[in-house]
Amino acid sequence: MMKSKIWLVLLIAVGLICSTTLVGSAAQAGGTLVFGSSGDAVRLDPADVTDGESIQRMDNIFDGLVEYKSGSTEIQPCLATSWETSKDGKEITFHLRKGVKFHDGTDFNADAVVFSLRRQYDKGYLPWHDYGEWAYWGYMFSDVEKVVKIDDYTVKLVLKTVNASIMTSLAMFTVNIVSPTNAAKWGPDTFKHPAGTGPFKFVEWVKADHIALEANDNYWRERPKLDRLIFKVVPDPSARLMALEVGEVQGIEYPDPTHFDRIKSNPDLKLLTEPGMNVGYMAMNTGYGYKDANANGVRDADEPWVKTPGYFEPLTKKKVRQAINYAIDKKSIVDNLYKGTAIVAKNGMPPFMLGYNDDIEDYPYDPQKAKKLLAEAGYPDGFEVTLYVMPVSRPYMFDPPKIGEAIQGYLAAVGITVRIYQVDWGTYLQETEAGNHQMCLLGWTGDNGDPDNFMNVLYGPNACSIGTAGNYGFYNDEEAQDLLSKALQTYDESKRAEYYQKVQEMIHEAAPWVYLAHSNQNVVFRANVQGYVLHPTSRKFFYPVWIE
Amino acid sequence: MERKRETKTGELIRRFKYNKSAVFGLVIVLVLVLCAILANYIAPNNPTPSPPELFNSLKPGFWSEDGIKGMPLGTDALGRCVLSRILYGARVSLSAGFVAVGIAMLLGITFGVTAGYYGGRVDAVIMRMVDIMFAFPALLLAIVIVTVIGQGLSKAMVAIGIVYAPQMARIIRSSVLYIKEMEYIEVQKAIGSSNWRVIFRHVLPNSMAPVIVYGTLMLATAILDCAALGFLGLGAQPPTPEWGAMLSKSYSYIVSGAWWAATFPGIAILFSVLGLNLLGDGLRDILDPRLKT
Repeated sequence: MMKSKIWLVLLIAVGLICSTTLVGSAAQAGGTLVFGSSGDAVRLDPADVTDGESIQRMDNIFDGLVEYKSGSTEIQPCLATSWETSKDGKEITFHLRKGVKFHDGTDFNADAVVFSLRRQYDKGYLPWHDYGEWAYWGYMFSDVEKVVKIDDYTVKLVLKTVNASIMTSLAMFTVNIVSPTNAAKWGPDTFKHPAGTGPFKFVEWVKADHIALEANDNYWRERPKLDRLIFKVVPDPSARLMALEVGEVQGIEYPDPTHFDRIKSNPDLKLLTEPGMNVGYMAMNTGYGYKDANANGVRDADEPWVKTPGYFEPLTKKKVRQAINYAIDKKSIVDNLYKGTAIVAKNGMPPFMLGYNDDIEDYPYDPQKAKKLLAEAGYPDGFEVTLYVMPVSRPYMFDPPKIGEAIQGYLAAVGITVRIYQVDWGTYLQETEAGNHQMCLLGWTGDNGDPDNFMNVLYGPNACSIGTAGNYGFYNDEEAQDLLSKALQTYDESKRAEYYQKVQEMIHEAAPWVYLAHSNQNVVFRANVQGYVLHPTSRKFFYPVWIE
Repeated sequence: MERKRETKTGELIRRFKYNKSAVFGLVIVLVLVLCAILANYIAPNNPTPSPPELFNSLKPGFWSEDGIKGMPLGTDALGRCVLSRILYGARVSLSAGFVAVGIAMLLGITFGVTAGYYGGRVDAVIMRMVDIMFAFPALLLAIVIVTVIGQGLSKAMVAIGIVYAPQMARIIRSSVLYIKEMEYIEVQKAIGSSNWRVIFRHVLPNSMAPVIVYGTLMLATAILDCAALGFLGLGAQPPTPEWGAMLSKSYSYIVSGAWWAATFPGIAILFSVLGLNLLGDGLRDILDPRLKT
């Protein structure tokens, strides 16, 4: 009796030791990371989203032909091991990586690449084309004519015209490769059941609560160090920070800059910060856009300039727009409302980008000069104008309502009465894309590190299409479009820079925008989270991360 | 009964004085009204300085050495004096409350008296409509109305007025039902007075007591609902200093330590609602014959 009890005790002791060592080694392998996101994903099909929250999840599920180097917008091989560009620059041939499998077991090959891209541009490729809106294809890849399979591990990309930014664009989420068999299995619901070749596999999606991923043991690189990666939705920035403080989540995005002192004084937390590739601005509707009848993203000869719904006489005058630029104290806004987590912007793209024009002298804060210009323009007593103010925080503007109110105060001082208009975010984008606004707050985070992704998408006359506008100032100088198109069709970097610099000068003179700030991107982790590297595009890659 | 009460104002005042909480409520309300009227003179600063003084953003008040002289309750995120905004906010909140209750009374009395006095089918139709409106939570209905007619302080007042009208209608209908059976009304009808004359000279004046009591209590909830709409961004539009909007624009700073910008507007809402409720309860105590001791 006594003896058997001793055996029992020994057995339990051995069992305990074994189990603790096992648990211990498992923890070293990575464990679970819960990331506090500000919102839920919209769709989990990389080609059919435009919002950062969806992209954040999918960047860890999918791979593309090429990818960005860690922390930069230079590209390196990923699912394509090498590529050649034809002499005329219109054909790029990719050699694909062999032995890669999708999460559902399908082999990765040329068919998967053709499927992933063709469904976006080929209106006759049914039913796949009807399953999405493919918005980004129009923004970034409208120069692609087609993708052709050469053999099982070779594909060719055929372009309509030379496009200098195409290779960096190919590292974007839009052209990540999806499993064709998975798409066939789920049909129009594929966006709820993603299957890629990436480091993490999709597990579950509980709407408005969390999305869970787990390590892909068959990843073609080394297995990721984390076992599980969970994106939890915590919309309120204060609640997010508190969840991080108590260890409920291990990392959060978009911390409120007013909380930075509290974060920095907590040894359990670390703040990662770097200059972001973005711009936050106030756009003034200069009055005219065009109706893009054939939805080709270009203003054709038979598409005339027409008044936008938000046409407002005073803002069509250059002197008024310049006066408004003089009337707003950007530095004070950046120092006190961005809390110093941004730099003052004088151009429409961040200073580290190719073609940034540093010779431009920004409009200084000068209310007297503003009043004088208003008087010269015929508005000595000012006027009443509506300002659309975003209801949500974005990486380029974390507290738009306060900035809107500050601008209201500055303009009141020169006699302009500002009515503030707020609607929900979806309607806001619709209304501003349709040109309903007189003035609006907005901004942009770069996708691929190429200046075209700012200059053409935000300030090009082709982006003045009423209903899908990206040029919210409706700045429609056709000479600018000419320069922007030339800049895209040459590989000569100094030439490109020259064209972009010239356009920035023209925009500065015409002044349809008050460029406010380039914000830092900020992410906070618990101190034991290692290996995370910020990416300039604010995309979030968790592959190299581990928990100590 | 009514006559006796009216001739004994002195007695009413005496009874009111004994009701300590009512006196306390009255004092708060009087202070609020004074703040609202005298805001221009007593506010230490401009509530909406232009251009904005952003460099004063979120500075503490008199309790801290970092505070700015002349801004005793600190500043909000845009560097504006919290005390001055609260004083001007009293004007906004009180007028919002009075206008909303005024609208509610106008609509409520019209429909309530019509329903109660004429009875029959008119009564049935009006009161079923009232029942339907009661089926919605008040604030939700107000939000719906604001969504339809547009945002802004004046629209919020109208919305709240509409939402409160059914309560008022029901209250006044019940007293009209009681009064119209009185002998003096029968006498009026017998001598051939027109319905208008009977309503305006006899029914209405005699049914006002509960309206005044409920109007006072309603004022409190109207201020609260106006603040709620302001908090949701549907009420007063910036830069109007409105308590609810001040609260919603500042509560996120509590975590970072700047508690004053949200706390003081909250206290202002608390006291005004408390004061009006105490006053309303006190008025009911002295005006309601059933509670007479």
